[in-house]
Amino acid sequence: MTAGIVVVVLFVIGAGLLLGFSRRPRQDEGMATFRRHIDALSPEARRDVMDRARRHEQERS
Amino acid sequence: MARDLAIDLGTANTLVYMKGKGIVLNEPSVIALNRQTGEVLATGREAWQMIGRTPGYIVAVRPLRGGAITDFEITERMIRLLLQRVGVSRFTRPKVVICVPSAITEVERRAVTDAARRAGAADAQLLEQPMAAAIGADLPIDEPVGNMVIDIGGGTSETAVISLGGIVALEAVRVGSFDIDAAIQSYVRREHGIAVGERTAEEVKMAIGSAEPMEDETQAEVRGRDLMTGLPKTVVLTPEEIRFAIDDVVSSIVSSVVRCLAKAPPELAQDFLVRGMYLVGGGGLLRGLAARIERETQVPVKMSNMPLEAVVLGAGHCIEHYDALKGMFMGARR
Repeated sequence: MTAGIVVVVLFVIGAGLLLGFSRRPRQDEGMATFRRHIDALSPEARRDVMDRARRHEQERS
Repeated sequence: MARDLAIDLGTANTLVYMKGKGIVLNEPSVIALNRQTGEVLATGREAWQMIGRTPGYIVAVRPLRGGAITDFEITERMIRLLLQRVGVSRFTRPKVVICVPSAITEVERRAVTDAARRAGAADAQLLEQPMAAAIGADLPIDEPVGNMVIDIGGGTSETAVISLGGIVALEAVRVGSFDIDAAIQSYVRREHGIAVGERTAEEVKMAIGSAEPMEDETQAEVRGRDLMTGLPKTVVLTPEEIRFAIDDVVSSIVSSVVRCLAKAPPELAQDFLVRGMYLVGGGGLLRGLAARIERETQVPVKMSNMPLEAVVLGAGHCIEHYDALKGMFMGARR
């Protein structure tokens, strides 16, 4: 009986830890996705498109 | 393998950006059809030249009004032909990002994506025009500062406050430069008794139209059809007359900018006084409009470097960084 309770308690603690660990990367993933999103909008990321457009504009004029 | 595309499907013009290449197409959103057979006779610039000058069996139409599709079938055919011109075939189906007004309805959104898919796109994602315009105008929207962009197109005018890669405040009205042309047509008909076409009204707007009094003002001769006699007639229009004729439309645009400013959080509002607002879109080229907005809002207004291309360049940037920016697409946020 006692052994059974210990097993159940250990199982619950184990499941809780697993859940905790599995959630942490998701939070990190949210931060990483936001960082990628912001980085992709930076002037450095946009330079290629803008330079190409300016060249196109100069050629046309 | 097809190169992915970004499309600015505007009421006035359609621009296409090809991934890795830049802008590959810039044509009026017009299609000419044979009324009897339904055959497409011309698209783009060639069809635009036909507006108001066609025999009875040909009709040259703009299938978009107020930024939305008014004729689904014709729009689909126009998109298909435009995509064919940039190399899309049934064997090369690209991913497509299409810029649409932020105020379009769910039904209108579906009409645009369905039209693009049927026209040859493997996947069609929608992007709000003001967001694309802010990216294309090279505003620092990745920073936690208030960036304000005013996009005045053919059928819609949208003002947005953008910070940290997202829209903070938005105001859109279904009024644009075509409404300015229509106001000129209506004024000339009412006050001078002559009928003029939409292309003539546009020419008048470009020649002497302004939102504020200018220093170098001249008059313009306009030829049309006398409504009483039916004969050709010439009248002279002054810049004051045109300012009066278009004042309701201009006021409506300026009011929407004021409403957007009022919606902006105070922390961002102070940024506008330092950084100013940016004007993009063909409608923004109306002389004196920046000065009028500046006078009524007390906020500096600057013209974007490439006002006509800003929206497609912004969408083009999204297609270049598709995976990182797919969270910005309209479907992704619902």
